[in-house]
Amino acid sequence: MHDQFYFQEVTEGQEIPVIRKDVSSVAILMYVSTVWLMDRIHFDHPFATLRRGLPGVVAPGNMGGDYYAQLLSEFAGEEGQVRKMSFQFRNFMLAGDVLEVGGKVVRKTVVDGHGLVELELWMKNQNGINCVPGKGVVALPMRAG
Amino acid sequence: MGSLLEQLGWSKYVGTGTGTYTGEPVLARDVRRYSLAIDDRNPVYRNPEAARKSRYGAVVAPLFYVTWAVGVPGAEKGLEELGEDGLATFVGVPEIPNVWDLGWVRGGEEIEFFERVRVGDRVTVSGTLVDIKEKDGKSGKLILVTSEFVYTNQDGKKLATHRLTMIGTPRKDASHA
Repeated sequence: MHDQFYFQEVTEGQEIPVIRKDVSSVAILMYVSTVWLMDRIHFDHPFATLRRGLPGVVAPGNMGGDYYAQLLSEFAGEEGQVRKMSFQFRNFMLAGDVLEVGGKVVRKTVVDGHGLVELELWMKNQNGINCVPGKGVVALPMRAG
Repeated sequence: MGSLLEQLGWSKYVGTGTGTYTGEPVLARDVRRYSLAIDDRNPVYRNPEAARKSRYGAVVAPLFYVTWAVGVPGAEKGLEELGEDGLATFVGVPEIPNVWDLGWVRGGEEIEFFERVRVGDRVTVSGTLVDIKEKDGKSGKLILVTSEFVYTNQDGKKLATHRLTMIGTPRKDASHA
């Protein structure tokens, strides 16, 4: 884990620490069984490919939301807060993919005494394809003085 | 010829509620397993001792877990009631007439967080259909249906607001194709 980020020290254009996610079939099965999401495209390869014409077993798009939540939570640190995030599903996340999840600061504003950092987010697979582009807003602590 | 949206007659459902549901108490086991599935190793999700020393004071769920904290109403059915795809219902698609004339995929989401979900919480979700639009896609007409879900806990505190846009395309075997 990195040290706490403070609002004053973050600059527009700065990239935040990335996380890497191994979208293994086991991780997908853990997820769908925990939340009771029994869509066969998430665990049955012949059904996904032959019946649905998908390129493989696909991860639930929801997992992308969790990956961004983790990325932003780690950037916010112990003293910050994840306020908002949004994302669009553009390409499937497939079993076996390794994702690099990252973001870049695009804007800093102070609202009601809170230092808000707006970010552009990406979730790239091993082929460099951004599967789930997104945006986020994180409140960072301010240094006193 | 009218638009697909006119044929479907769905515009009148914008602004209508899609139901309010309250879940069973959130289990530590579910939160722990969920954190393992997403491989988020923050100990506040699975280690009560570490969580006690954190700013939360107890185990909390990963942020996006709130969207699952109620469970999916109608999803828990016996095998004989499931479709061959394994589903009894589909997350995010409102129950409006002829909704299954279209095939659905998730388009995009937007979520704002207010309070954390904690073990033992009973979360309530209340949904509203907030927008329906028609667009021209690469391979034909698309219908974009956006719902907003407000999540609250047993104390009436707002946990999150979540907007989900589902994209529908006419099925080849449906009357609107």
